[in-house]
Amino acid sequence: MNELVLTLGWLGIYAPMALGAAASAIGCSIAGMASIGAMTETEGGYGRFVGVSAFPSTMVIYGIVIMFTLNRDVTPENAGGLFGIGILSGIALMYCGIWQGRACAAAINATKEKPEIFGLALAPAAIIEGFGVFAFVFALVISAGIS
Amino acid sequence: MSGQDAYIALMCSLPGSERLFVAKQPPLSRIRLDRRLTALTPEDAKALHVLEHALSWSAYDMDVTDAQAIQRCRQSLHDIPQPSLRKLFIERMEMRSAVAALRLRNRGEPVPSGSFGVGRWSRHIPANWGDPTFRLERPMPWLKEAHQLLDDEDPLGLERLLLSVSHTQLKRHAARHLFDFEAIAIYVLIWNIFDRWGQSSAAEAAKRFEKLAQQAMADVADIDFEGASA
Repeated sequence: MNELVLTLGWLGIYAPMALGAAASAIGCSIAGMASIGAMTETEGGYGRFVGVSAFPSTMVIYGIVIMFTLNRDVTPENAGGLFGIGILSGIALMYCGIWQGRACAAAINATKEKPEIFGLALAPAAIIEGFGVFAFVFALVISAGIS
Repeated sequence: MSGQDAYIALMCSLPGSERLFVAKQPPLSRIRLDRRLTALTPEDAKALHVLEHALSWSAYDMDVTDAQAIQRCRQSLHDIPQPSLRKLFIERMEMRSAVAALRLRNRGEPVPSGSFGVGRWSRHIPANWGDPTFRLERPMPWLKEAHQLLDDEDPLGLERLLLSVSHTQLKRHAARHLFDFEAIAIYVLIWNIFDRWGQSSAAEAAKRFEKLAQQAMADVADIDFEGASA
């Protein structure tokens, strides 16, 4: 039984990193495909499209920081806490990354027609980034209570 | 990549359309559109072809019967797997059925026996033949104006109204699809509306009228059409 609990603890430590990486990969690929499509139709502003498609890459950074914060000796006493915080923050980061990629793709699709709305079109992606930051910050705060 | 993100690059590579009736032509040529659509999977390309073909007037023979047209609609529905595209297709067919009924009644035709056309209102329309809008003013609020335009013998106004209603319907469906196959299919159907409006010209109408007349008079061998090639 102890082995299973310890395994869950290690899973919790690495989950934010792994799920954050998956989130960034999926999000960046969604937004990246949108920017490639938009580049075939527009005459300029390619740098902006590529820049926007890198937005979801922050999720893996948050995941790495959470992983380092959770990283400690895993004991039967702290494994449950590590598992809970790690898995749930990882899932939150994953959703944020994927949907931020979709929001970025929509922004790219809209701004290829109307470049003047570039800033406003990024607002949904920025709001999703805020939710990712919430998941990140409060994972750090809560992890301070784990022995 | 999931179905809803299947065609992100393709969708982003398609230019947006200007306002209907303001734009003189579609936002990109058919050749360029077809080149972009090569990114579709064979299954999706087939579904799009079926949908486009079934909704295109030029794909119908001029002497097609009601039964043949209805049979073709049913066959097309069978070949379109996406529920939202099936719904969109049925909506368009219901709209066409209502307009066809308006035209028939305007010509003084009697009440059709049994059902008429395709969709939910096929029995409702003959049952309410005497009402100006077949009691369909709630689901089809534009029918009143269409009825008025037919009475006023204003075919251009009617064409404009029908294209506008179809465009609005498609835009409503498009709001639910961003980067999936349905979004591509709806884009192509909107492209067709722009193309239809852009191509409407007196010269084309005269050519089509001549073709119709030739077909109608095909059995009468003695009549020579002035200017027609032998």
